[in-house]
Amino acid sequence: MSISLEGRGLHRSFGGFKALDGVDIAVEAGQIRGLIGPNGAGKSTLIDVLSGRADNWGGQIYLRGEEVTGLKVHERRRRGLARSFQRTNIFPALAVGTQLTVAARALGNEGLDDVVEALSLGHLLDRPAQQISYGDQRRLDLALALVGRPEVLLLDEPAAGLTVEESLQLAAILRDLVKKWGVTVLIVEHDMEVIFSICDRITVLHLGKVLVDDLPDAIKTNPEVISAYLGSQAP
Amino acid sequence: MSGNPTSLTAPAGGRDSGPLSRNWRLLTAAAVAVAAGIAAPHVISSVLWISLLTQAVVDMIFATSVGLLVRQNGRISFGQAAFFGLGGYIFAVSIAREIATPELAIILAVVLPTLIAFLLGLIIARIPGVAHAMLTLAVGQAFYEVVFKWRELANGDDGMSVALPRTLFGFDSGMLQTPGSMLPIVWTILVMILVGFTLMARSPFGQLTEAIRENDERAQFIGYTTTLPRAVIYGASAFVAAVAGLLQTLYNGYISPDMFHWSLSGMALIMAIVGGPKIIWGPALGAFILFFFKDVAGDATEYWPALVGIMLIVVTLLLPEGFAGLAERTDVPLRRLRKGRAS
Repeated sequence: MSISLEGRGLHRSFGGFKALDGVDIAVEAGQIRGLIGPNGAGKSTLIDVLSGRADNWGGQIYLRGEEVTGLKVHERRRRGLARSFQRTNIFPALAVGTQLTVAARALGNEGLDDVVEALSLGHLLDRPAQQISYGDQRRLDLALALVGRPEVLLLDEPAAGLTVEESLQLAAILRDLVKKWGVTVLIVEHDMEVIFSICDRITVLHLGKVLVDDLPDAIKTNPEVISAYLGSQAP
Repeated sequence: MSGNPTSLTAPAGGRDSGPLSRNWRLLTAAAVAVAAGIAAPHVISSVLWISLLTQAVVDMIFATSVGLLVRQNGRISFGQAAFFGLGGYIFAVSIAREIATPELAIILAVVLPTLIAFLLGLIIARIPGVAHAMLTLAVGQAFYEVVFKWRELANGDDGMSVALPRTLFGFDSGMLQTPGSMLPIVWTILVMILVGFTLMARSPFGQLTEAIRENDERAQFIGYTTTLPRAVIYGASAFVAAVAGLLQTLYNGYISPDMFHWSLSGMALIMAIVGGPKIIWGPALGAFILFFFKDVAGDATEYWPALVGIMLIVVTLLLPEGFAGLAERTDVPLRRLRKGRAS
C-alpha cells in the first residue's frame, strides 16, 4: 500500500515542555488510523502541525509523497488535506447550505450531496448554523471537512460532546463514507468504542513520543498501552 | 435560497431561481428610488431643505463605506476619514497645482485612495479587534497631521477653496454647486452604491467575505486565503469614502484638514451603528437620522453632542441591530402576512 500522509521527525515545544518530541508517523492510503493517548500526549498538537494550524514546529510533512511542510493551511486543504476540530469550528451566522456552497467553490462539489445526505443535513440547509443543535453543528463541522472529497482527513475528537449513541452513529457514518471514497483518516478520539469500532490501525502517543503503533487487537492487550493510557478502558 | 432544499448541486430552476427574481426586485426598487430623487427638488420648495438633504446624502454615502467594513470584514475603523479627506484633497490639489486635468483629477481622487486602502488592507485588515481599530486611528491621524502642517500643499489648517472649471466631462460644473441639481446626482450615486453592495453581498465573493468575517480560521481550512478578500473590501470601502469626500468638495468648493480628523471617522461609525451595519442600507439610514437629529439638537442646546451620545447608548441597548434592524423586524411579519394571503 502507498503512504498517503507522512510526518518525519515532528517536534514542537511550549517553553520547556516538548509537546511533540521527534514523532514519525506514516498513514497508508485508505486507512483509518486512530491516534490515542493520555491528555497532554501531543495528539491535538500533532493534528495541528499536520494541518498547518501550528506555528514554531519542526520536521517534514508529505502528502502522497509530495512535501507540504512549508505550505499554508489553505494550500494544504486545496491539495486534499482536510481536518475537523475538537471545538466546533463553523460559520455561526451563515446558513448551513451557504457555508457548504462556499467551501465547494474552493474545493469542488464532488460528493457534496452524499455528504449532506450521510450527515443528515439536508433539512437544515436554509438554517443559520447558530440556530441548529450542537449535534447538528458537530456534523456540519465534519461536513465542511469532507467537502471536495479530501485525500486525507484529520479528525480531532469528532465525537466530543456527543452522547454514546450519537458517537457510535457518527462513527458508523464516517466509516462508511471514508471507506466508500477511499479517504485516509487520522482520528484523535477519547471514546475507545469509537476508536476500536472504526480504526484499521492505532498509534499511541505518550509524552510527545510514539509509544506503540499496531493493530487494534494488539493495542488492546499491549501492557505498555494499558499502563500508560487504556487502563480499564479497553473494550 | 429556495424553500426547502435538500441538494446543493441541483441544477438551475431549483436553488438558483430565487436570487434572479430578488435581483430584479432590487433593480426595480432602485429605479423607483432614483426617480424619487430626481423628483425631490421639484416637490420640495425650500432651497435650504434641498441643500440640507444634499449634505445629508453625502454623509449617507460616507457612513455606507464604514458599514461595509463592519458588515463584510467585521472590522471597526477610526480612520475612514483618511479616505474621505483624500478624495477631496487629491481632486482639489491636483487642479490647483495643475497636476492633472479636472476630469483626470476626479478619477485620481477615487482611484488613489482605493489603491492606498487596498495596500494598507493587505497589512492591517487581517489584524483583529482593538489593535485594528488603533491602527486605523493611527493611519487616519497621520494623514490629518500631514495636511494640517504642510502649508504649501493646501494652506495647512486654513484649508483651501476649490475653483471648479466651467465644465466637467462636458457638463456645466455649476450644477454640482446648485442644490436642486446636486441632490439628484448624490442620491443616484448613493442608490448605485447600495445596489452594488447588495449585489456584491449576494455574490460568491460576498458570501466568502461573510464567511471570513464569521470565522477566519475555518475559511482557511476550507481552502481560502483570507487576507486578499479582506483587502478588497478595504479598498471598496475606501472607494466609497473617497466618492463622498469628492462629492462634498465639489459641492462646497472647499477642503480643510477636518476632512481627515478622527472625530469624523467616529461620527461615521456612530451613524453606522445607529442605522445598523448588518443591513446594507442601515448605515445610510443612520446617517440620515443623525444628520437631522444633530440639527434639531443643535438648535435646542449647545451641548448637543451629549444628546448624540445618549442616542447612541439608547440604540446600542435597545436596538442592537439599529433602526434598519427594527424596520426589517417589523417588515418580516408583514411579508409573511402578505405571503399567506397570496397563497
